[in-house]
Amino acid sequence: MGGEETVVVVCRCNDVTLEEVKKAIEQGIDNFELLRRYLKLGFGPCQGRSCIMIAARLFARVTGKSLSEVIADFRIRPPLFPVPLRNLITGEEE
Amino acid sequence: MKVLIIGAGISGLFIAYELANRGVEDVTIVEASYPGSGATLRNAACFRSSFTSPEHVVLMKESIKRWLELRDELGFELWQKGYLWVARKEETLDTFKKLIDFHHKFGIPTKVLNVEDVKELEPHLNTKIITGAMFDPTAGKMSVLENFTKLYLKVKSMGVKVIPYTKVLELVAGNGEIRAAKSTRGTLEANVFVIAAAECSKEILRTVGVDVPIEPIPRHPIVTEPYVNILKPALIVDWDTPGAPYITQTSHGTFYLARDITDVPGASIYSTRVDIFSKTIKPLRELLPFLEHIYVLRYWMGYYDMTPDHHPIYGPVEPYINLYIAAGFSGHGMMMGPVTGKLIADWILSGKPSIEIANNLTLERFKTGRLVKELAVIG
Repeated sequence: MGGEETVVVVCRCNDVTLEEVKKAIEQGIDNFELLRRYLKLGFGPCQGRSCIMIAARLFARVTGKSLSEVIADFRIRPPLFPVPLRNLITGEEE
Repeated sequence: MKVLIIGAGISGLFIAYELANRGVEDVTIVEASYPGSGATLRNAACFRSSFTSPEHVVLMKESIKRWLELRDELGFELWQKGYLWVARKEETLDTFKKLIDFHHKFGIPTKVLNVEDVKELEPHLNTKIITGAMFDPTAGKMSVLENFTKLYLKVKSMGVKVIPYTKVLELVAGNGEIRAAKSTRGTLEANVFVIAAAECSKEILRTVGVDVPIEPIPRHPIVTEPYVNILKPALIVDWDTPGAPYITQTSHGTFYLARDITDVPGASIYSTRVDIFSKTIKPLRELLPFLEHIYVLRYWMGYYDMTPDHHPIYGPVEPYINLYIAAGFSGHGMMMGPVTGKLIADWILSGKPSIEIANNLTLERFKTGRLVKELAVIG
């Protein structure tokens, strides 16, 4: 466990810190999907592989909701990994 | 006065904001999923007033004015960086000239640009394949995710109650008015009811015998990884390719690409299609060659809630004296948010809208056949 001044990064794609997550919840963001959108959690190249569960657990603890309720609206979007745009162009005519 | 708004999207929130601002103390918004879960948090977040019907032009101009005021009042993030419609064909420039004549009548300073002007405005464009463009410097883009969350926190701080995850199943009518809304979590009573539930407005109003012609048309936006902000106009539209592909760079830095591709009306927003990628990316990559080096991150679906004349349905719902609607925005609900709030609050509190032309957009028009005419629905 770190001391008071330690910066804990929750989302490494968008540099979101634990402090920022706590602050946003304190501001009154009472829905996890809104929190994610406000802070861009899960909006980076990893699509939330590391940040979502950390932030969701914190959110559940602070708001008193169950973890399954908190992440119920989280959706995984295709493609699962970032793909170069040129690789998605097929030769076929429309 | 006790007001119940059904739908916590951008329209519902702005209606609540206006009512609370004008002193209505008891305002509740009920939402089937989470706030903003429909088209509100799925759209390209761009705005313009350069439409081709007087109704859209007048109302959108007012809406932009209000967005800019709210930027200062509520700390919204938005930028008037302009829309650029790129032409590939020579004859398209004649269409542009006609369009700007129309816009100029309403004081919108759109202009037709030659290839050199376009090159100067956006150096990344492949000017070899274009003949010119039309530019609207008053159009722009915003941070939709931040702005919506700020508005949500604001209306809650004003005392508006938001009830999420509660779906309204039916309205209860009696004596020419709506008495209550039955939901998945009990019955909600009020004096005034506002339906701002996009395509779901249709099934809700059907329960009291009102037919609303809204068809949810699936749309398929794609976003890339975030990059440094390099795209100068807020939005670039490929006018001469069917389905008018367009691209905007969001405030987060991601490129947002989309194209209108024929799909089954009402198809599930989880019925994603693999052909979307190539169809959307190919024409835009021709215009902006640097795109081929960029990585696609996510693709999702959402709806344009289309009405027969591609204009929203506003105002009182007859024959009920306390029922109002704001739905069917046909792809423009986000940009119209502030004016939607203003107009519906006007109707509720003073019986008529403060902008007269809004009277042309009531549900009544589908009975009388007085539909609104619009030449271009893009972006």
